[in-house]
Amino acid sequence: MTFFFWIPGSLRSLTGGRSQVEVETSGGTLQDALEALFAAYPAIRDRVLTERKEIREHVNVFVGINEARSTGGLATPLANGMEISIIPAISGG
Amino acid sequence: MLGEKLGHYRLTAKIGEGGMGVVYRARDEELNRDVAVKVLAAGMLENLGKDHLLREAQTASALNHPNICTIYQIGRLEDGFYLVMELVEGQPLNEMARSTKLTTEAVTRYGVQIADALAHAHDRQIVHRDLKGANVVITHDGRVKVLDFGLARRLDRVTVDAITRSQASFERDRSIAGTLPYMAPEVLTGEAGSYQSDIWALGVLLYETVTGKLPFGGSTPYGLSAAILHELPRPLPPSVPPGLSAVILRCLAKDLKDRFQRASEIRSTLEAIQSAAIVSEPRRDEPTGSRTLVSRGIQHLDVKNGDVLLFLGTTKGAFLARSKSDRKHWEVAGPYFHGHAVYSLAYDNRSGRHRLWASTGSPLWGTYLRSSDDFGKTWTNPLEANIKFPPESGLALKNIWKIALGPPEAPDKLYCGVEPAALFESQDAGESWSLVRGLFDHPHRPRWMPGQGGLCLHTILLHPADAGRMHVGISAAGVYRTDDGGRTWQARNRGIRVTFMPERYPEFGQCVHKIVRHPDRPDRLFLQNHWGLYRSDDGADTWNDIAHGLPSDFGFAMATHPHDPDCVYIVPMESDEFRCTPEGRLRVYRTQSAGASWEPLTRGLPQQGAYETVLRDGMVTDALDPVGIYFGTRSGKLYASRDAGKTWKALLDGLPQIVCVASAVVAELAGPSTSKPPTVKRRRPSPKNAKESVAKRNGTRATERKRSRR
Repeated sequence: MTFFFWIPGSLRSLTGGRSQVEVETSGGTLQDALEALFAAYPAIRDRVLTERKEIREHVNVFVGINEARSTGGLATPLANGMEISIIPAISGG
Repeated sequence: MLGEKLGHYRLTAKIGEGGMGVVYRARDEELNRDVAVKVLAAGMLENLGKDHLLREAQTASALNHPNICTIYQIGRLEDGFYLVMELVEGQPLNEMARSTKLTTEAVTRYGVQIADALAHAHDRQIVHRDLKGANVVITHDGRVKVLDFGLARRLDRVTVDAITRSQASFERDRSIAGTLPYMAPEVLTGEAGSYQSDIWALGVLLYETVTGKLPFGGSTPYGLSAAILHELPRPLPPSVPPGLSAVILRCLAKDLKDRFQRASEIRSTLEAIQSAAIVSEPRRDEPTGSRTLVSRGIQHLDVKNGDVLLFLGTTKGAFLARSKSDRKHWEVAGPYFHGHAVYSLAYDNRSGRHRLWASTGSPLWGTYLRSSDDFGKTWTNPLEANIKFPPESGLALKNIWKIALGPPEAPDKLYCGVEPAALFESQDAGESWSLVRGLFDHPHRPRWMPGQGGLCLHTILLHPADAGRMHVGISAAGVYRTDDGGRTWQARNRGIRVTFMPERYPEFGQCVHKIVRHPDRPDRLFLQNHWGLYRSDDGADTWNDIAHGLPSDFGFAMATHPHDPDCVYIVPMESDEFRCTPEGRLRVYRTQSAGASWEPLTRGLPQQGAYETVLRDGMVTDALDPVGIYFGTRSGKLYASRDAGKTWKALLDGLPQIVCVASAVVAELAGPSTSKPPTVKRRRPSPKNAKESVAKRNGTRATERKRSRR
């Protein structure tokens, strides 16, 4: 299956400046799609997931328009061709 | 007019002519310097009115900024006036961009300077109105100078209409050819130039500088105006980094509410791009090895042997400062790691290195250890997080609170204290890290309770003569000691009182804020507790209260004198509820009797309305004689004394919250020394502890940081 990742500006330095990355994987979950992304751009992994394999607290991953924590987290099933957006949450201070 | 004198300016050459008038190179015969003299054209005076133009010129002459061409004087002529200005020699930016392919780094650097110039003028209610390639000159030393602030012709509605309908070629009106491409849509519909039309012009200029072309095309004024009013800018090539491209497009938003509102926003966005710029990232088909973070747009320090360096960690980045050994004048660079919290900095000069370590934490993307071997010009940008808890622990790293060097005889050994509380060690100069299991598996650990600042291991003290012994400080677990190189650990808190548990003297659970040790008396330790100030003379087996006569025994920061094991500096805070200096008086307290008595050091420090907080690692001493003491505050001020605390001076103000300060005296750098060698006092072993005395570990004395509150 093919998925399209949107990479936020602050991580594009780790994807050669690309804002959109297309990945192909045989698996059909968010976890599979992310693994395919990490295989292409290894430095993204620790920026998005903690060592507990959880999405970092202030990072949101949207599958289509749904925030992944509300759709099953990394186990969220994906349909072929879906867009996945990695977006920093509102934070600062 | 050549050869004539206007006032005491002799016109020596004509160097330009445009719609505004003629520009001459001239000799100021009183000050013996070359200047530029612009004699304003009669057309300008008619168009704007002499008095109005004079007022504009007077206002613009008040601008004083390194990137704005300074107006020195306004002189009156019978039928007009002339301006005497700084002589700017160089190349206009648009010409430079057309003839040379400028790097993104150069474009960003110039962009910052132009935006800073605009911000300065806008703050003083001065609009440029005619910012364009020809008005921005890059001098021979690479600096931007913006010319002709506030002096542009104001176009009335009729003129604007005439321009936007003109089907004539640009050849017919060269002044329009130079100006029209930079005009904002709202100006083309008849509005007066504003701050935001200057911002539009900056967008056009940046576009042109990065591509060598203009964003909107058209062979006639009509065609160009229509494109500016109705079309999107031509797409930027993919080689333009996304950050820079976003800035340009936001300057070129047709709708004012979508455009940057202030030039200062553009400056700070470009600065963020500079400090975060990462060079030549590999594509997916290129090897992805160690990456480098290049700190751009920062005037880096040129470090020489004998220099004293200060490393400042703040909640929004790191700053470096250098001075010659006299410690009179400081040069500052930063912020490095823009927007990231830097809770620990360490300078490793073991084994001939000059390596700076930083822990950098982003609220979004995690915490990383980075190092620089060139005093901050480039930093490692690790592919993976260097420090991770093992999967079976179920924990995730929150922060790296302390970077500590191993002993000189093991120059590749490093330690990190982290949150959640744990100790990590590296045997290979930071390439790989492992959890110190002896402490992590301690039976007390499940019962440690986090304080307000989390549960963190923030202090690491190696024994200078006994390789097996180490103390750590954990909030809120207390002091732990190993005597067998980290295999087993014992709580060492006897005599330290707690105020937040029913048991006043528990075995562990104390909220230790900071521990220091003097290498000449390694079994004597000083400890600042959540409440309470203590000394141990037996390697932390027992602790005694030494808060004699202090205004408060609450506090965080603590530093030892480098040459006197009985001398310690602290900055008491009022209480745990009011974590500021008591009575609004900023006082450093010093003991020279190992805590038997304390004296306030206040000369040069504010004694009224100074409600400051100095955090755990916010104070440090240097290795010179007389000793220098430095401390940073939560309000972003840095104070220094270069006479052992007798007098103080504010070195810096306006930084983000300072969380750690470290110092170093640089020695043995390759290349010639150009700074006077400092007086680094040899430590004098006290006779009774001579056998404990060891060679000086290294040139760094890192204080600990503190996020406070526990």
